[in-house]
Amino acid sequence: MATVQVSEAEKVYILHGIRDDLRVDGRGCEDYRHMEIETDVVSNTDGSAKVTLGHTAVLVGIKADIGKPRPLVPNEGYLEFFVDCSANATPEFEGRGGEELGTELSNTLYKVFNNKHSVDLKSLCICPGEHCWVLYVDVLLLQCDGNLYDAISIAIKAALFNTKIPRVRISTDEEGGKEIELSDDPYDCMRLNVENVPCIVTLCKVGHRHVVDATLQEKACSVASLIISVTHKGTVTCTRKVGGGSLDPESIFEMTEAGKRVGKALHAPLMKVLQQEEHLGKKKQKVGFLG
Amino acid sequence: MLKSKTFVKKTRSGGVMKIVREHYLRDDIWCGSEACTECKQESTVLQTDACMESSLCSYPHYLIPDTNVVLHQIDVLEDAVIRNVIILQTVLQEVRHRSAPVYKRLKDIIHEKEKHFYTFTNEHHRETFIEREPGESANDRNDRAIRVAAKWYSQHLKTSESDTDGLKVVLLTNDQGNKQKAEECGLLVYKFEEYIKSLTANPELVDRLALSNDDKNEITSSKVLFPEHLPLSRIQAGIKSGSFVQGTFRASRDNYLEATVFIQGEGEDGTEILIQGLQNLNRAVHQDVVAVQLLPRNQWVAPSSVVLQDEGAAKDDNVEEEEEEKALRISAAEAARKATGKVVGIIKRNWRPFCGMLNVSQIKESIRHLFTPADRRIPRIRIETRQASTLAGQRIMVSIDGWPKDSRYPNGHFVRSLGGAGEKDIEQEVLLLEHDVPHQAFSQAVLSFLPKMPWAITPEDMVRREDLRHLTVCSVDPPGCTDIDDALHCRELENGNLEVGVHIADVSHFIRPGNALDKEAANRGTTVYLCGKRIDMVPELLSSNLCSLRSNVERLAFSCIWEMNHEAEILKTRFTKSVINSKASLTYAEAQMRIDDTNKNDDITKSLRGLNKLAKILKRQRIEKGALTLSSLEVRFHMDSETHDPIDLQTKELMETNSMVEEFMLLANISVAQKIYDEFQECALLRKHPAPPPSNYDILLKAAKSKDVAIHTDTAKALADSLDVAKVDGFPYFNTLLRILATRCMMQAVYFCSGMDNDFHHYGLASPIYTHFTSPIRRYADIIVHRLLAVAIGADSTYPDLMDKHKQSALCNNLNYRHKMAQYAQRASVAFHTQLFFKSRGILNEEGFVLFVRKNAIIVLIPKFGLEGTVFFDSKDKVAPSIVFDEEGPTLTIQQHTFRIFDKVKVTISLDASNIQHQKIRMALTDPVIPGVSVPVPDAEPQAKKPKLDH
Repeated sequence: MATVQVSEAEKVYILHGIRDDLRVDGRGCEDYRHMEIETDVVSNTDGSAKVTLGHTAVLVGIKADIGKPRPLVPNEGYLEFFVDCSANATPEFEGRGGEELGTELSNTLYKVFNNKHSVDLKSLCICPGEHCWVLYVDVLLLQCDGNLYDAISIAIKAALFNTKIPRVRISTDEEGGKEIELSDDPYDCMRLNVENVPCIVTLCKVGHRHVVDATLQEKACSVASLIISVTHKGTVTCTRKVGGGSLDPESIFEMTEAGKRVGKALHAPLMKVLQQEEHLGKKKQKVGFLG
Repeated sequence: MLKSKTFVKKTRSGGVMKIVREHYLRDDIWCGSEACTECKQESTVLQTDACMESSLCSYPHYLIPDTNVVLHQIDVLEDAVIRNVIILQTVLQEVRHRSAPVYKRLKDIIHEKEKHFYTFTNEHHRETFIEREPGESANDRNDRAIRVAAKWYSQHLKTSESDTDGLKVVLLTNDQGNKQKAEECGLLVYKFEEYIKSLTANPELVDRLALSNDDKNEITSSKVLFPEHLPLSRIQAGIKSGSFVQGTFRASRDNYLEATVFIQGEGEDGTEILIQGLQNLNRAVHQDVVAVQLLPRNQWVAPSSVVLQDEGAAKDDNVEEEEEEKALRISAAEAARKATGKVVGIIKRNWRPFCGMLNVSQIKESIRHLFTPADRRIPRIRIETRQASTLAGQRIMVSIDGWPKDSRYPNGHFVRSLGGAGEKDIEQEVLLLEHDVPHQAFSQAVLSFLPKMPWAITPEDMVRREDLRHLTVCSVDPPGCTDIDDALHCRELENGNLEVGVHIADVSHFIRPGNALDKEAANRGTTVYLCGKRIDMVPELLSSNLCSLRSNVERLAFSCIWEMNHEAEILKTRFTKSVINSKASLTYAEAQMRIDDTNKNDDITKSLRGLNKLAKILKRQRIEKGALTLSSLEVRFHMDSETHDPIDLQTKELMETNSMVEEFMLLANISVAQKIYDEFQECALLRKHPAPPPSNYDILLKAAKSKDVAIHTDTAKALADSLDVAKVDGFPYFNTLLRILATRCMMQAVYFCSGMDNDFHHYGLASPIYTHFTSPIRRYADIIVHRLLAVAIGADSTYPDLMDKHKQSALCNNLNYRHKMAQYAQRASVAFHTQLFFKSRGILNEEGFVLFVRKNAIIVLIPKFGLEGTVFFDSKDKVAPSIVFDEEGPTLTIQQHTFRIFDKVKVTISLDASNIQHQKIRMALTDPVIPGVSVPVPDAEPQAKKPKLDH
């Protein structure tokens, strides 16, 4: 991942600041940077969102396609993730440089989102055992300034909220053959319930304390971080430790608690913003990539 | 300004795709009105004084029709009276989507300057573009778009109004809902009928209105006569599941209550399903694509051999019908039963304007009349007209508008009048129209690709050509032929062998692929020869001049040159583009005379003798291989040079030289076919003649058996041999009759693309491969073959379509269709001239032979005139004599006399002009004498005056 060079003196400065709950950019330990969300930014997807968090920017597009359900769960649809680490984000991603990170990210996303507790996968079923919706979630990293997981998870939640799946009907002819019929009204579509979709909160252990939404500099001072996905009720659905250092059980507990608290607080304003934007309908001013 | 249009679509693999199109809105789309000062337009289409004398709109106005009005009332819109019309882009797009022919006609109107039709691209106009709203159907959106555009126009014209007094726009729609909504937004809106009826100066337009839904109810009784058609979605589901089949509806020519539906199978073969009875036919019209449900096996029937025509006054009760239908259901032998079905729905209508005549209603003031199409396969059509008295006796064109389920006849409207029936030019036009023969003059675009005159051969032309100008080439054709596309030569080589050359006009040199000239020729497909008239495939400059291999001029040719020994064995074959200079253009008779005249020994005559000698050997070899010589009577008219009326008629005579030319043409075609197939296995254009299925020979076998003659039909060779020995003492004409019958058993030869088929055999010629190479002036297939051959020998470059087997295959389909239609048109023209001839000759008594025996009629052939006619035995006004029909014979016993095939009968021939629409040759039996059936021999009317013969 993108790294920055931080001198020893700088590190000490950052560490001491965090110890006193004051970070380089003036935030407290559990504060997020300024966040911007815009949905419906890519017209040829079924749902899309762009999230900027500080200087981190990600774009998520969701395409719905008809596929065959997995044999073990014939009455559920599923999600597929792909993370594209664009070389726009950082020169390190050039060539195949971003591949490893992309795989790592998509594996994590798969664990976090593709289960029936996060998304109502049953609603994606069209015809048990035969047809279901497959949601292809494509994540594009536009700029890296730390805390990719959180930004991506918020963007995915926003994009899922924005997703409009065309409504289909199964018609059966006399012989029992099934045929998928598509409504010819483009406004006739299905929406997903995103209430239970979790957000990821990444906590970075810096010195003896931990911070959320670490910048690249802070990241450089940290030895390990904990990724926690939290639902709006505060339930932890997944945790993962990343980074080379070790964490003692006590701080893991502390970090989990902090993650729950932050995560829970994150959902309410997010949903509010999304609903507000939805209400604007056609009057919504498009910002897109030029804004 | 950028908008995007989004819609979802099902992909072929069953997935769903969201498609987003960018849509740009502009502010520089002008209104096209002369009166407008605001728009910065360079030229205007709509006039300021857009006055039409309408009692509804006394002010100048522009018309905005909606989609349905354009689709259904295009005939009226085409009229010169209707001017200053705004066609919205929304309408244009919808029309294009729904009906290609109407779209083309609309485009033609728009291009016509005098019509002042303006296309307003409202979908790209910033102020008139609208987006579909939630809960709005696509149609509703389009209707709203039309209203918004109309609204915009009315406001736009109001603001720009400076000196014009009250230029308005009038929206025309037949949709009640749309009309109401338009009125709510304050638009001027009328129903189309309302508006047309208000055009006081042009009452004749009313006739051409297509009947709309609400009118139909008045016309017919409310009794439902037909079962409902299924909706398309159910038809598609049914076809998928196999409970219905899709096919082309082909009405029977002889029986209006019977039809077949042709189901296209894999490749060339297809099956036919029989449909019988009005209910089962269910309002399908000839050539429609329909969905058919098969009836259970126990309800299957056999095709009837009754000749039934829908005649008389309009029938709205089905009493009579049932009687006629009963006539069909005479129990048939189990074996003769065929798969029978009923039409459940129409997939695609194939209605076109039909030629025909009006049956004026007996009620004097009635405005509803029945129209009888010239094509007997088309049902009679009910139209409304106020000018019935003028139209009676004229050939008119009528379009079908619809066929409601409670109406015995389809409803239609008058399109235009062609002229008086029976006039030669009009009748010729009718038969060209009826056979879909493109016969308009060549357009400027086509003519622009002709070479500039005076034309001469340039050195560039010579680069890849061989100079064969020194050879003694000559052409042999029928008299009066101006499009000479083949010439021959034959000379002895130093090694004692013979060199024979067939030189074909190099049409592909003049017609380059893809240009307008080429496209027109490809569409026409063939030159159509009618009696006294030729409808060219290529403009006359080419067909009768530059491409015609006339004598003593230098012409470009494509030559096929063989080296042969005196036994006509081919030692070497080569093809080359060349330049020739024909030394003589002879007729068959002239050539024959030269050959026979032992005093003549010039180069041309020697060449002809050599050719004749070889041709005889070739013919013998071909017949030994099993080629068929069949017979069909072809007649020739002697035309009066001034009136072009036929004054005499004789069957064509064949001379040795006919077969001489033919033999070398066959040889050239076979050689070329082999060459292009060797070179292009996938895309060679070939011609095949499939062997007929054994059942086709039934009638021939039965007929031969009745005279105790055995015919073997296992192979072409066996057939040819058994035909050769089939003779009956004291009946010299028997063999010819048998050959005529055999011809009727044959399949149609067709063009095909070698990559799409694997059966190449030509049955009639007994050749494993065949194509057409020798008449590029009059057949498009030959042009393609020329191009292929030119590429094969490196004389010309190729182009993508030539090597695309699917495109070639589509082209073949068109050529086969045109070819077939040309043949039908030709026959129809002969039939018409035969009628003219008999009209001038009055009543004649002639001898003839029974060619076919039907359930209630015999078909008689008069060899002298090559004329076939039907003698009916159960006319309606007479008491039906006892008729017994035996299918096995087939024989027909009337009272005591039994008719068999080949029986010699005497008939009296006269022209039945009682129905001017279907003038026909009437034949009545005079010998054998059967009381109550035959007629006494009338005196042949002496001819009014001896026709002067032209020399």
